[in-house]
Amino acid sequence: MSPIFLVARRDYFAYIGAWGFWLSLITAPLILAILMFAPVLLARAEPPRVLTIIADNASDAAAVTGEFEDLARRSARAEINAYLAATAPTIAPDALAAFDAAVEQGGDNRAAVAAARAVVTERVPQALRAFPQPSPRYVLTPPPMAGVEALRPYLDGTQTLADGRTLFGAINIRREADAPVIEYWSLNLSHNEPTLIAQRAMRLTMQREALAGQGLDPLEADRLNAFDPRIVQFDPRAAAVDAEVTARQRAPAYAALALAFILWSIVFSVANMLLSSVIEEKSNKILDTLLTSVTPMELLIGKLLGVAGVSATLFLFWGALGGTLLSIAATQLGDSVLGQVAAAFLDARLLTAFAIGFIAGYLMYGAIFLALGSLCESIQEAQTLLGPVALVLAIPMMLVMPAMDNPNAPIIQAASWVPLFTPFLMLMRAPAGLDWVEIAGQGALMVLAVIVVLWLAARVFKAGVVDQVSMSSWRGRKAKD
Amino acid sequence: MNAALEAEGLVKRYGARTAVQDLSFTVPQGSIYGVLGPNGAGKSTTLRMLVGVLRPTEGHISLLGGPVTREALRRVGYLPEERGLYRSMSARSAIAYLARLKGTPSGKAFKRADALLNDHGLGKVKRKKVKTLSKGMAQKVQVLAAIAHEPDLIIFDEPFSGLDPVNQRVLEETIRAQAAAGRTILFSTHVMEHAERLCDRILLIAHGSKAFEGTVRDALALAPSVAVLETDGADYDLNAALAGRGFTMSEELGEHGNRRWRVKLENGHNSRQLLQACVEAGAPLSLFEPARASLHEAFVSLVGDKAMPDAAG
Repeated sequence: MSPIFLVARRDYFAYIGAWGFWLSLITAPLILAILMFAPVLLARAEPPRVLTIIADNASDAAAVTGEFEDLARRSARAEINAYLAATAPTIAPDALAAFDAAVEQGGDNRAAVAAARAVVTERVPQALRAFPQPSPRYVLTPPPMAGVEALRPYLDGTQTLADGRTLFGAINIRREADAPVIEYWSLNLSHNEPTLIAQRAMRLTMQREALAGQGLDPLEADRLNAFDPRIVQFDPRAAAVDAEVTARQRAPAYAALALAFILWSIVFSVANMLLSSVIEEKSNKILDTLLTSVTPMELLIGKLLGVAGVSATLFLFWGALGGTLLSIAATQLGDSVLGQVAAAFLDARLLTAFAIGFIAGYLMYGAIFLALGSLCESIQEAQTLLGPVALVLAIPMMLVMPAMDNPNAPIIQAASWVPLFTPFLMLMRAPAGLDWVEIAGQGALMVLAVIVVLWLAARVFKAGVVDQVSMSSWRGRKAKD
Repeated sequence: MNAALEAEGLVKRYGARTAVQDLSFTVPQGSIYGVLGPNGAGKSTTLRMLVGVLRPTEGHISLLGGPVTREALRRVGYLPEERGLYRSMSARSAIAYLARLKGTPSGKAFKRADALLNDHGLGKVKRKKVKTLSKGMAQKVQVLAAIAHEPDLIIFDEPFSGLDPVNQRVLEETIRAQAAAGRTILFSTHVMEHAERLCDRILLIAHGSKAFEGTVRDALALAPSVAVLETDGADYDLNAALAGRGFTMSEELGEHGNRRWRVKLENGHNSRQLLQACVEAGAPLSLFEPARASLHEAFVSLVGDKAMPDAAG
């Protein structure tokens, strides 16, 4: 049996046999899901923030109060819209129409949500399971005391409201020479959203007052302010009929972004496995024994293959789990945004780009990490060497967001030709379409880079494991010099 | 004499530093061959070159009648000075894995691992992970891993270091048993007693160069004979009494209030002449014991005190 295979097999079973492997195999999808949903869950778990409004002018207070109520209504409507787009897109327009009708009839938020829910109950009852129960971010309460100074104990937390709630902030609208001034009092210094809401309300009020001064009916002024043109985006590459850009066209970009992050995390994790594996062998002092049976190059390739096998096992498990869930999502959620994103993940071109990106990225970064590991006697020593490599590895991640915004930006195109970045950026640019020159050229550069990196890594690896060259020996030599 | 291993003009340089300088020696087939020298003499570097881990800067090695190839190395068992095993593997798996790397089929490798562990009193721990074994046990397992593929040539680098006296004796027996089975054994050590007890031939290295190669008997012949004497009482000075007669002596720790002297018999002197000189000087002798020179003394006479290995390890 080939020594390379034996080395790869031993390394593979050493990882597979460790309980940590199974723990990460099972917990990684859970942690990913928690990371995805935690911000939403945390936001929902937070109770509404209690604000109070004080104004010199009662109409100013009413305008700001109205703006907060309007915001709460818009948020509730958007939440219901997003939920129905994902679960029952066919009835979304009717449910939202019922919501709007309830509002027009003077109903509050609760009544509007109930109206939308009634449509769902009647038409698609199975979509009721997780029907949202929107909760406003802010609730308004009358000022417990007159004047801002008297409110200080409530605002600094020394006193609570009569019902036991804490006052989050107070908005004081003063008029100075007929121009409104918005004062915001709150312990939370970095949160300024309430001032923006009040500012918008007062701007509309001032516009309405100015237009009324010109003799325009206030209702006409409101109609002008509410004017909101419909925006339609088109893709010039598509046929005229399909040219309108919808969630279906945007979904591949979101899928590519997610896959780029997954690819980066996996390449970094498995490259770290290689690093610790070779350091472990150095500290176990087993390398001299192995080197009478295998050459340094065979050892390097065997280790790369062993950990590649571990990665393949992870991909098989996560791929089967993710593929099954995505297939179910794509089928069940159909034309909804989530259904389209799920289908985009299963796109063969994207998955091929992911697979090629993983192989090339793994071989390049894996070989670099192996070579670095061979120069170190401990993980602590390796960490000092890893700094520059981690910075290089961070560059493509800094470029993925700009690549999402404009996949063909000159800096993104230029960076795509750097083999160490190609796996991630090629994936990001794939949905926007790559021409054959780029695919062939960047692919060839990656292959060349893999060969060069492996060759260089083998030389460093040999120096590290055979000639016992290490960071300590360099430091020692430097000190002697 | 068929040679299991021949080295000719071996040189190993690291930049400006020369670790091994023009080293030539021959290891006869079926012999037990010792490579001796103090720490830093170049023993491990030499052994690493013999097993192909290091490439010599100059010189030629003939291993089992041919060049140092993968095929030749499969017939060699090697225990490096820097030793260790995969800590998470069981003892039998570790032995079998290294045997398989040397070309032994899987089934046979595990059978041999089990047999060797049973024969060496480690049968009960064969399925235990290496990290749970004592240091001595782990070292035994490592020795067994070096011989599990039944090599023709066994090379051990400082095999006795780290072992307690009982396990050192067990290892000596293992080496003798392997030699009795027709295998050639080469080992390095800085403990003279092991070499003296085991080796047919020895190579002494000092400062990377060969200081001596030959049989133990030849080496001992190079050292002057000695005699140990004891004189009654604390006041008598034998060194002063024999001054001018050409004897070199050193005083050792005496017993029961007596003084003990170690006299080198060199410059043509023998024990009879020493005894006669003592009688003529009226020395109150309570002990006169001619002694054989040790390998340690032989090496002191060859390379001087400074380059010498420890006397007892």
